Amino acid sequence: MSHSEDRHLDFVLKHYQPGKFDTQKAIGRFKDANGIRPLPRRRWNTVIWGMSAVAVLLLGVFLFMHSDYRRWTEVTADTSVQTYTLPDSTVVTLAPGAVLSYRSDSRKVKMSGKVFFDVTRDENRPFEVEAGDAFVRVLGTEFMVNDIDGPQGEKPVKVYVAEGKVLFAKDSESEGLILTQGMGATLEEGAAVPVFDEKADINDIAWQRGTFIFDDTPLKEVLTCLSEYYKVSFVADDLSKRLSGEFYTDDLDLIITLIEAALDVNIIKR
Amino acid sequence: MPVVSPHTRLATIEDLFRLNYRPLCMFALHYLQDADLVEDVVQECFTVLWEKLEQGADVANRKAYLYMAVRNRCLDHLRRKGLPTESLKPYDTYGIIDDDDAEERSVMEAKLWTAIDSLPEKCRQVFLMSKRDGLKYEEIAEELGLSVNTVRNQISKALNVLKNGAAKLYSFILGFF
Repeated sequence: MSHSEDRHLDFVLKHYQPGKFDTQKAIGRFKDANGIRPLPRRRWNTVIWGMSAVAVLLLGVFLFMHSDYRRWTEVTADTSVQTYTLPDSTVVTLAPGAVLSYRSDSRKVKMSGKVFFDVTRDENRPFEVEAGDAFVRVLGTEFMVNDIDGPQGEKPVKVYVAEGKVLFAKDSESEGLILTQGMGATLEEGAAVPVFDEKADINDIAWQRGTFIFDDTPLKEVLTCLSEYYKVSFVADDLSKRLSGEFYTDDLDLIITLIEAALDVNIIKR
Repeated sequence: MPVVSPHTRLATIEDLFRLNYRPLCMFALHYLQDADLVEDVVQECFTVLWEKLEQGADVANRKAYLYMAVRNRCLDHLRRKGLPTESLKPYDTYGIIDDDDAEERSVMEAKLWTAIDSLPEKCRQVFLMSKRDGLKYEEIAEELGLSVNTVRNQISKALNVLKNGAAKLYSFILGFF
């Protein structure tokens, strides 16, 4: 390392604290401070207000047509990942394009797209998710439901459990699978029961965590994971190497550079 | 060009965060030497820029604006503490450097910071104990219950990542400007 680089490194080392100057956290703090992502309670009040006004105007129509419509509140994420806190303090993280509806008086939610749930514990009131033709009942805490149409328009629903335990089935009456930490399963369109995913892994929720985690992972799998996330393909001159480490999702070029340096390989984006 | 729609404005500020947040923190760290204070100062500067954009103000070079705002705020802090600011330069830069160099250095340091963050945990721990805390290989080995050879390997692995990473990043930065 040259003299000037040594000086840079000395300065960085002198002040280094793991996880400090986290850009993602800074954006969250900035949004909170400037009211850009309204606090959940405020948003909740606003939505109720709007709904009540509509309800008064169209009360008759609503009573006939949608007797419980008024009680559903919808939250969405347009172009960036959004986080909301539900009335029961469950935290939901929505990937771009996801929609979630909830009610103030129950722990049942409906959703489409990709949503990560961090559910508060309440033994007496199970938390339940409806995603298209699939149903999840939470017996534990953190999991993700992915209800995104496949490339051929097929509609599988995927569940990945980060922590805790969930029941995954077609509906609340049918037979299902119990999934625990690190397990995933898919319910194909039209299927009666979901099947376990062989290759479910923590990086399925990289978008929510903001990091990729590899632990002695073959480079081939690492590149597959990155190419699914960033929608680009890669070629490398030696796929037999294995990688361990944690990488921020917000800088693909840096990830590639670090992998190349750590494993002494060349990687080319295509 | 003024940023008109609220949606575009948010995307603009988020992009500015992603590209410049950590470099701006490194830039401010040279003045203030205090990571928590640095984060507050950089946040304030983003907020000021945000308010300007909201009022429809035309900020031509937003990145340059942020660097200038951060520097001015840092100098305010130092003045309030009664520290000398006559040179209007960070006081630990190993000689005076101009604004462009200071910005380039901040980008470089931010990349190094990120690279250290990205090291496997054990590797990073060993590396910091050696290079930051100045412990001997034997001392690290004993404290962590590792062999001296493992410690040596982890440190050379970390240095390799930083060195190669930094060299490539350098050429990238130079090619970019």
